[in-house]
Amino acid sequence: MSPSLNPADIATPSDCLCHIEPGELSPLPAPYEDFNQVTIPPLNPEKVKHLETSLDDTIAIGIPKPASREEEEALILRFLSGLKKLFEKENNWTFLQPLMLSMEHCAKCQTCSNACPVYEMSGRKDIHRPMFRAEVLRRIYNKYLKPGGKIIAKLTGDIDLNWKTIARLAELSYRCTLCRRCAAVCPIGVDNSLINHEIRKLFSQEMGIAPKEIHDKGTVQHLRVGSSTGMNPLAAKDSIEFIEEEMEEITGYKVEIPWDVEGADILLLHNAGEMLAWPENVGAFAIIFQAAGLSWTLSSEAAGYDAVNYGLWYDDVQFSRVAVKHADIARRLKVKKIVMGECGHAHKALTVTADRLLTGELNVPRESAMVTLEEIVLRGKLRFDPRRNDFPVTLHDPCNVVRAMGIVEPQRRILRKIAPRFREMTPHGVENYCCGGGSGFAIMSGYNFAQWRNLVSSRKKFLQILNAFDGEPREIPKYVCAPCSNCKGAIRDTINTYHAEERSGLYYGGLVELIVNAMADMKKPIIRFGDEPSWKS
Amino acid sequence: MGFYILSYLCFLIFILATGYLVYRQLTLPVHVRWELYPVQHETADRAAYGGSYLEELNWWEKKQTRSLFNELRYMLPEILFLRGLWKENRLLWWASFPFHFGLYLMIALFGLLLLHALVILWSDYPVTSSGAMRSFLNGLIVLTGWTGLILGNIGSLGLLYKRWADPELRNYSSFSDYFNILFIFLFFISALIALSGDPQLEGAKAYAFGLLTGGVSLNAYTPGQNLYGGVAIVSASLLAAYIPLTHMSHMFMKYFLYHNVKWDDAPNRRGGSIEAAIMENLELKPTWRAKHVEADGRKSWREIASSAPKEVK
Repeated sequence: MSPSLNPADIATPSDCLCHIEPGELSPLPAPYEDFNQVTIPPLNPEKVKHLETSLDDTIAIGIPKPASREEEEALILRFLSGLKKLFEKENNWTFLQPLMLSMEHCAKCQTCSNACPVYEMSGRKDIHRPMFRAEVLRRIYNKYLKPGGKIIAKLTGDIDLNWKTIARLAELSYRCTLCRRCAAVCPIGVDNSLINHEIRKLFSQEMGIAPKEIHDKGTVQHLRVGSSTGMNPLAAKDSIEFIEEEMEEITGYKVEIPWDVEGADILLLHNAGEMLAWPENVGAFAIIFQAAGLSWTLSSEAAGYDAVNYGLWYDDVQFSRVAVKHADIARRLKVKKIVMGECGHAHKALTVTADRLLTGELNVPRESAMVTLEEIVLRGKLRFDPRRNDFPVTLHDPCNVVRAMGIVEPQRRILRKIAPRFREMTPHGVENYCCGGGSGFAIMSGYNFAQWRNLVSSRKKFLQILNAFDGEPREIPKYVCAPCSNCKGAIRDTINTYHAEERSGLYYGGLVELIVNAMADMKKPIIRFGDEPSWKS
Repeated sequence: MGFYILSYLCFLIFILATGYLVYRQLTLPVHVRWELYPVQHETADRAAYGGSYLEELNWWEKKQTRSLFNELRYMLPEILFLRGLWKENRLLWWASFPFHFGLYLMIALFGLLLLHALVILWSDYPVTSSGAMRSFLNGLIVLTGWTGLILGNIGSLGLLYKRWADPELRNYSSFSDYFNILFIFLFFISALIALSGDPQLEGAKAYAFGLLTGGVSLNAYTPGQNLYGGVAIVSASLLAAYIPLTHMSHMFMKYFLYHNVKWDDAPNRRGGSIEAAIMENLELKPTWRAKHVEADGRKSWREIASSAPKEVK
């Protein structure tokens, strides 16, 4: 067991502030006991010798070590300059009020800790308490930026500011999935995950420090090439052509996916990762929309075929640029509304967070696909044979769709109609647990970060999934419905890590696949469990 | 007279500090939405499971229904009985509830004492001269005083013990966290001891009367004759000034945490006041230094948001 840590310890000189020993992670039940002694594999010393690794057993960012004392001092000053900007309206009007309120009113009651899946699953390591990193920032702010701070800090909580403090804080801001369960349970309404978001922002917007997967290969590539996947418009069109062919081959249903239809009712925005990793999701949307007779289109303009907005997780400027781009494409296509496909963070980014950014004609109405699909499924626009989904189904609630937007029931009403063996996880809805891939984790896999994610941040969701199917025979295939690309990515990796397809018969997919699978007009099933079709034609 | 001057000064500080806190919140720029569901002013069926108006097809064509009743139905048990803490952190609730409810009853007691003083001042009116009414008021004062002080003492000691004995809390507690509870405990314990020698709260009534009449005390009672009564008056006065200067202002700032952030789901409609505020915000000129931001202090948020970065970092 590591000794307990308090926020001031973040400044202490040591090679590893928090190490997880074998057996310390929350235990898994049978038949997964063999994973209970597994811990995060060590970093390759050669690969990380020039990087800051002193927080814990993994690296999310990979911050280079400063070359000299002078460089360290300059970085500390830059950090303080960024911290000051977080409290200025010119620089941070976007979150100034929520930040100030959460900075000033925490009672340190630790109610948030028990709600945090990362803290719980890590074996209750102090650095993973939601208030740990928030308290570090509070103490630095109070001591170094408030008048008389150095004296008052002796009474209210002291901390040393050195390069270790800063480098560890930057890394630590990428150990929280921003699921906001901590904020949901805070009796006062303090949002420590928001403070974490602001820490990420300070590092990105002032110091240019962010994980390459979400910045260089994420928002920068998205704005430059057209998609964070690296797909340019031509490649996106090729992918869609391939999907059209695949859909006909898999389901026997001929689908045509419309591009750039001016004046269409709907601009459908997919996470472009779906086109590459889960093409059947894009195809299933097309089948449903075509069969229901909707007027809709995709956009082939750069960024218009990729709904993601990684800026939501770390950088308001990049966030704003992507959101404006999406809205402007919809404006020029003259669509009546944008429908967000199965991507949770894209839902929240464009529908809710960007709502206070888009003005005039850029404020094109946005709607969740859960709502559009409910209208199609429940209003009798299509014929269904629910017996085709005669296998156990559970629903994962993407935090950004459910807790952050209050879209809870439409997807459930659909499942109750088309999946006779649907059952809930515990807890679910707005009290759900994160998949472990939130806030960019699902796409971050440098060094050994993917192993950390699978073993720590996705562990609670894995336990929830196992519990939801408790009592079902191992050989029966079970479907985890995750209507979010990032969640699907995290769940896919969890299933693979724990060999859960072999050991528990776990499979995963989106909501639209289940809908198409139950459509009476389909000649063949879209869902397969390994080599087996989910129903016989 | 010194007691009264101290009380007036502390009350003035309370008003000024609270006023500043509220004014600062009201003048902050409109921020992006960051609500968290359930949002309790939603319709009752949706609030029950955490749903929102975004669950409706073409929600922007419909009138948003907000229910003050639902909000109050949630907030009253939350404020009075700390429902959230009961659900999420039961062990702490056993100490936190008596502490907070004791404080609420002290605020209520202060109101009742002022009312009692007004009744005496306006004793010529039939309503205020009614014996039954005065008896009722006196009874209420005694009940509120005793209950509040007993609960407050139990709660303060409970919170002190929790913070000291529970490593989870102790590890994150600073000198000021203990000081704050001890300060409040000092008031509760001194007031309770004073009450044991004055079970009908005659001294407190006299002091409240004196507060309303510039120090003219009732029944020849001079505050400070009783050591514990004096400590209670001084500590209560200082607390009133101190609370808004600390995180304990969450007692009333919780309103903004909920209404301006957690439940702030108001959509931005074209031509509306939110849009006007956003347009002002977009003219602000940031100075973030990372190269990809490309802020130079002259470009506005609007210009930056509608451009693509040339630099990566």
